[in-house]
Amino acid sequence: MKKILLIIGVISLLISMRPILGLTSASNTVETTAVTSITEDEQEDSFISEGISGVKQFLSYTGFANAQAGNIIMIVIGIVFIYLGIKFDYEPLLLIPIGVGVIIGNIPFVAGNQTGIYETGSVLNYLYFGVVKGIYPPLIFLGIGAMTDFSSLIANPKLMLLGAAAQIGVFGTFLGALYLGFNLPEAGAIGIIGGADGPTAIFLSSKLANGVNLLPDGTTVKNLIGPIAIAAYSYMALVPVIQPPIMKLLTTKNERLIRMKPPRAVSQKEKMIFPVVALLLTTFISPSSLPLLGMLFFGNLLKESGRTERLAETARTKMIDIVTILLGVTVGASTQADIFITKDSMLIFGLGAISFVIATMGGLIFAKFMNLFLKGDNKINPLIGASGVSAVPDSARVVHAEGLKADPKNYLLMHAMAPNVAGVIGSAIAAGIILSFLG
Amino acid sequence: MKTILLYTDVLDEGYIILMTGLLIVFGGLLLLTLFFKYGLPFMLYIYKLITKGPDKKVTEISPTVNENFTGEIAAAISVAVHMYLDEQHDNENAILTIKQARKMYSPWSSKIYGAYNNRF
Repeated sequence: MKKILLIIGVISLLISMRPILGLTSASNTVETTAVTSITEDEQEDSFISEGISGVKQFLSYTGFANAQAGNIIMIVIGIVFIYLGIKFDYEPLLLIPIGVGVIIGNIPFVAGNQTGIYETGSVLNYLYFGVVKGIYPPLIFLGIGAMTDFSSLIANPKLMLLGAAAQIGVFGTFLGALYLGFNLPEAGAIGIIGGADGPTAIFLSSKLANGVNLLPDGTTVKNLIGPIAIAAYSYMALVPVIQPPIMKLLTTKNERLIRMKPPRAVSQKEKMIFPVVALLLTTFISPSSLPLLGMLFFGNLLKESGRTERLAETARTKMIDIVTILLGVTVGASTQADIFITKDSMLIFGLGAISFVIATMGGLIFAKFMNLFLKGDNKINPLIGASGVSAVPDSARVVHAEGLKADPKNYLLMHAMAPNVAGVIGSAIAAGIILSFLG
Repeated sequence: MKTILLYTDVLDEGYIILMTGLLIVFGGLLLLTLFFKYGLPFMLYIYKLITKGPDKKVTEISPTVNENFTGEIAAAISVAVHMYLDEQHDNENAILTIKQARKMYSPWSSKIYGAYNNRF
C-alpha cells in the first residue's frame, strides 16, 4: 500500500513539474509556430502520409534497396569461404575471419554515413589503417617467429636453397603481370602472391599498389591490396588442392620413395645464434625487408633465448590472434563489390593460381637438380621442394601426406619444414628486393 | 625522390628485376646455407676451445657433434616427457571435501544494521 502511494506521489510530482519545464519550451514554440503556420493545415491531414514517407526513407536506407548484383555475389563468396573453412578445414583461422569480413564489407549501404571501409572516419576504415600502412604484417611475423622452430633448417642448411628456388614463382608472376599490362609497381605487388605468404603480400601491396603512390607518368597506382590479399590467402588455403597434382606430375615413383636420414639434433646455442646471424645477413642483403625479417627473427630469438618465455608466449598466442582477427576481417571487408569486382581482380586471381604452380614447380625441379650432386643417403626427396613455397605449415603437411601415399612409413614432415620456413625467409627477401627496385 | 627510369620498355625492366631479384634471393640464402654449414660449427668449436675445462686438452674436443643423436630421437624423448607431464593428474586425490569457510564478524555485513530491519 505504501509503495503504491509512493509511486502515485512520484507521478504527481512529475506531472506538476511539467508546466514548469513547459513554460520555457512554450516560449520557444511561439517563435516557430509563426514559421510553420503556413504548412500547419497541410500537416494536419498528412499525418499518415508523413509517416509513410518516413517509412519510405527508412526503406531507401536499407540494404534491400541498395543491393547490387556485385554485393550479392561477394556475400555468396564470403559464405563459401566460411563453408570451406568449417567443412574442409582449409586454414579456418584465416578463411572464417575473411569470409565474415567479405560479408561485412558487402552489406549495401548509403554512402556518406561513415559506414563503409573506404569512407574516412568509419570504424572499419580505422582498423583498415593497419593494413594500408603495413602495420599488421610485421606483427604477424613476430608471432610466426615466436612459433617457428628453425632446427630442421639448422640441421640441414642446404635445404634453404629450396626456399630460394620456389621464389621463381614471385618473379615469374611479376613478368606475367607486366605482360598483361600492369605497370611496374602493380606487377611487383601481384608477383608476391607467388611467395604464398599472406602478411608479406599485404605488406608489399600496401607499399606498392596502395592507390596513393604516383607513377613516373603522373598517374596514381591502383589500389590492389584487397584482391592481392584475398588471392594470396585463398590460394594458400587451396594448397592441398593445387600442389599434389603438380608433385605427381614432376616426380617419379622412385623419387617419392627416397628416405632421407633423420636430421641431427640441434643444440640450444645454435638455435640462439640462428636468429641473430640470419637477421644480420638477410637484412644487410635486403634492408627493405627489415620490417618483416626483423620481426620474424626477433620473435624467434624471444622463443629460443629461454629467458623471455613470457614475451614469446604472448607473441605467439594472444598478440598474433588479435592481429589475425583484425587483419582477416578488414582484408575481407576491403572487398567492397564496387571496388573489388573489376577486370584487374580477375586477372590477379588468374595470375595468383599460375604463380603457385610456378613456385611449386620451381621447388620440385630444383630439388631434383640438387639430387644430381648428392650421393647415397644424403639425397633429398624431391617432394620437399614443393614446400619451398612458404604457406606455413600447410604445404609441409601436403608434402608429408603425399610422401605417406607413396610409402606409408616415410615421414617427411620434419624435412619439409626446413624448405617451408626457408620459403618464408626467401619470400620476405624477395619482397624487400622488389620494394627496393620499385618502391 | 623518384628515380628516373632509363628504360621506357617496361618488360626490359621486368627482365632485369627478374634476373637480379632471383640472383639476390639465391645469393642471400646461399650465404645463410654456407654460414650454417661451415661458419657455425667453426664458431662453436672456437667457443668450446675458449671455455674448455682446465684439465681437458684441445685434441680431446671433437669438432663434430654426435651424429647418432638425431632429431628423431630428440623428438621421441620430448614427446615422452610431454605426455608424462600431461598425464600426471591421473593420481589425484579423489576424496573431495568441502571445508566450511568461517567469516570474521564485520559490521559491513552485519544483519543487525541491515536496511530491511527498519520496516514497520
